[in-house]
Amino acid sequence: MKDLAAMPNPAAPPPEEPVRLPAPRRLFEAFGDVFDEDSFFLILSVFIGIFSGLAVVCFRIAIDWTHLWLLGPLAPAHSWKILAVPSITGLVVAILVVNVFPAIRGSGVNQTKAALYIFNGFIPFRTAIGKFICCALAIGSGQSLGPEDPSLQIGASLASALGRQLKLSREKLRLIAPVGAAAGLAAAFNAPIAAVLFVIEEVIGRWSAGILGSVVLAAVASVVVERWFLGSEPIFRIPVTAFKQPSELIAYLVLGLVGGLASVIFARAIGFFRPRLKAMPRATQYLQPAIAGLLIGLIGYFGFPEVMGAGYNYMDQAMHGQYAWQLLAILAALKIVATTISFVSGTPGGMFAPAMFVGAMLGGAVGSVEHHFFPHLVGSPGTYALVGIGVLFAGFLRAPMTSVFMVLEVSGNYEIIVPVIVANTFAYLVSRSLEPIPIFDLLTRQDGLVLPSLEEEREETILRVEDAMAPAPAIILSAADYIDAAARRIEDSTQTVFPVRLQPSGWGVITREQIQRRFKEGKGEHTVGSLISAQPLPSLFPDLPLDSALRFVQSYQIVPVVNRANPQMLEGIVSSQSVFEKYARDGHSEPDESDES
Amino acid sequence: MAKWLDKLVPRSAIVVLVLLTAGAVVGFAIVGHLVTRYNANQQARGRRLYAQGLADLNSGNADKALEEFRAALTSDPNDSQYQLTLGRALRDTGRLDEAESYLESLWQRAPESGTINLALARVAARRGSIVDALRYYHNAIYGIWPSDAEVNRRKAQIELIEFLLQKDDLAQARSELVALAGSLPSDPGLELRTAELMVQAQDYDDALAEYERVLRTDRGNAEALAGAGETAYRAGRYRTAQHYLQAAVNANPKDDNVRDLLVLTNQVSQTNPFARRISDAERNRRLAAAFDVAGQRLTSCAQQKGIDLGTVVKPAGSSQSPPVSPASPLATLESRWLATKPDIRRLRYAEENDLPDVIMDLVFSIEQQTAQDCGEPQGVNRALLLIARNRDTADQ
Repeated sequence: MKDLAAMPNPAAPPPEEPVRLPAPRRLFEAFGDVFDEDSFFLILSVFIGIFSGLAVVCFRIAIDWTHLWLLGPLAPAHSWKILAVPSITGLVVAILVVNVFPAIRGSGVNQTKAALYIFNGFIPFRTAIGKFICCALAIGSGQSLGPEDPSLQIGASLASALGRQLKLSREKLRLIAPVGAAAGLAAAFNAPIAAVLFVIEEVIGRWSAGILGSVVLAAVASVVVERWFLGSEPIFRIPVTAFKQPSELIAYLVLGLVGGLASVIFARAIGFFRPRLKAMPRATQYLQPAIAGLLIGLIGYFGFPEVMGAGYNYMDQAMHGQYAWQLLAILAALKIVATTISFVSGTPGGMFAPAMFVGAMLGGAVGSVEHHFFPHLVGSPGTYALVGIGVLFAGFLRAPMTSVFMVLEVSGNYEIIVPVIVANTFAYLVSRSLEPIPIFDLLTRQDGLVLPSLEEEREETILRVEDAMAPAPAIILSAADYIDAAARRIEDSTQTVFPVRLQPSGWGVITREQIQRRFKEGKGEHTVGSLISAQPLPSLFPDLPLDSALRFVQSYQIVPVVNRANPQMLEGIVSSQSVFEKYARDGHSEPDESDES
Repeated sequence: MAKWLDKLVPRSAIVVLVLLTAGAVVGFAIVGHLVTRYNANQQARGRRLYAQGLADLNSGNADKALEEFRAALTSDPNDSQYQLTLGRALRDTGRLDEAESYLESLWQRAPESGTINLALARVAARRGSIVDALRYYHNAIYGIWPSDAEVNRRKAQIELIEFLLQKDDLAQARSELVALAGSLPSDPGLELRTAELMVQAQDYDDALAEYERVLRTDRGNAEALAGAGETAYRAGRYRTAQHYLQAAVNANPKDDNVRDLLVLTNQVSQTNPFARRISDAERNRRLAAAFDVAGQRLTSCAQQKGIDLGTVVKPAGSSQSPPVSPASPLATLESRWLATKPDIRRLRYAEENDLPDVIMDLVFSIEQQTAQDCGEPQGVNRALLLIARNRDTADQ
């Protein structure tokens, strides 16, 4: 492996290595016409999935082993261990992060996205090693973080290293990190569909058919590997769920609203404290994870060890009605506090599991309260805890589609799809209206980067051809018209350019000056068609993006806009002037910046 | 590393794919070894935690035991025994939702298991859900048991019947009892238990038959004799009860309960004017005695309720009848009693065929009304009341 110690610094120029990769001509010589780079990339995706799956299996075992070794199999409430272990381990993790693995701070989602959009797919292999060791120590010692986002980055880092080693083309190298990310996340979640959707929503940031096949293959391969070794049991036992009646949706709507508010609080807390702690002197970077560990240990010591670590066991219990609503609400609040402390201190680890934890506890609490007051309307609180998991995913992580499919995939129960959609939609809307910038975008901006996101794309107003289109001119000529007849028709018109309907199909254009000159030359018996180029004009459809008109308006005076059902019917015309005027009016002087490729 | 690898690896797709495959195979081998070791450690830890959990559960520390069972299951999620024990412990500590969830996931893996179905049946029974309990108990009864299948099935059957009796679903309990009785081996203990359950289900005929089945093999079984006597007594078959109770007292003279029942059945036997094989004179004597006793009971009950029958009630047909409330049943009975009293003398005449029935109807009405107003009577009055309740079978 080449220079694996190099770490990407967001502020520094991208590393040179990926840029000078040659196209892998020799790679495909042996198979000749059997497959090209695209086909090879698909096969490679399966191997990325396998290697990512193996890495994630080891990662999960490492976290478990660390936890057992440091804290033991039973939660050591009211013991010195619960204070000492997270603090001391936090110090060790800080030393490693500051001195050896500086790029592994945070969850890893943004780093993977930056690799795609800024660093040509480059993620140092050292990141995978650092993430593996430090996250296993941090999560195993009780820091309130999860293993999913690190798994995503481990997968991306492995894939990137493999792509570099195989000297793939720059285009493929860029795409290989998201493929690895999907594989890592799928293995961590044991949920391939949710992983694919998340990578599209949050890492790639746009739907791209070119990469979908590879992402899916890698995700499926990694899940197969994970299940091979760790079994196909879901992360938690799914309660008996029931959606009683349509009016119960009101109760889920309330859950969505509460979840949305909690998401905003959670995101704002991280957004507020993270840059402030990051800006503190370098020496304090060693202490921050240790202090975070101590604070979380204190929460555990004073009776709430549930907030330590990823907390899957406790989510499981919340789904089975083991906690009163008051305790559920307290645990949700404390988890927000603990995760904020852990994350802003620079301790590497993910936010998926904490978001799911907060969602499950909030869901259970809201469900219990509603069930108390409306026992005939509201079903079991366990169902609400399950739905709540998706609510925070939609509100906090702002991945609405992933949130729905994740709950369905984890629960294997399609009966709750309507409650999940209702609750998640409201959580997403509340969160978006109160906090316009999604958490991952916020973190990216705090790091000085600007990366595209699907949410931006969703909200972007797309200009279409019809927005710049002028109505069809009053006089439309036919290629079969005689020039003298045409001259008489245009005599009283102020039109200078005339669209010409060609036979059997297509459009041309002729100017007033051309017609009048030929008429004066005595060629009135000639047809209009004889004056215009045999090559028809390019035409557009009204619904096409306005960007597509840019290719033609510089070369042609007018470009006809035709009906999709009947291309001989002219809907209007666009010209360079109308297009640029529209862009100028809407503040778009050039095509979408996010479309970097 | 990269340079020597660059030189070593010819960059052809075939070689790359072969190397990747080899890498995957090696990776599988290494991770497989790691996972095997990890699982072995986890299983050992699970066994330790499970043993600790059992010890804590036996010493009454259920909460700690639950934690240990949970940790054991986390260590070895595939161990059904841990899951079953955890599910049972959760159920026994009232955490029914969670218990059901653990047991349901076990059930999905082995829906034929008698043990798991029985555990789920008990959860349903604790919830009070007859439908679910029936389903799971039946699954357990007809399910597969790792050992002592017949015994376990019968225990499940008996448990189901006890649950149904507790829920007052007597009809379902009786049908389960019929099935149970049909499959019983020759075991006096089981037969006696079945007979007891039949008594609780008010299936007295089958219960008596079950006791008699025991007595056919063990004529002197005091428990069976007492049970048969009591069952016959409850069925209103006082002569049969007298027979068995007498034998039970002979077998076990210290059983006061049986002795009291015997006294009562003797009184019924000696008081019943409808008994067969008694002379007309004796029948008339019993009728007259019953009439007198009923009259006294009426008077004492009226006094107990504060009604002075001697001043407010006059015989029917008296010209100076005071305004007696027609709504007072005791007063009505008193007037009927007084009206009937002169007829007692006519009992000796053979042509008065309906008179014994008229007298005893009144006696029974008095006993039933006074029992309702003044509580259950004692002695001869109680005997008369029992005859009133079981007029058709009292002499059986």
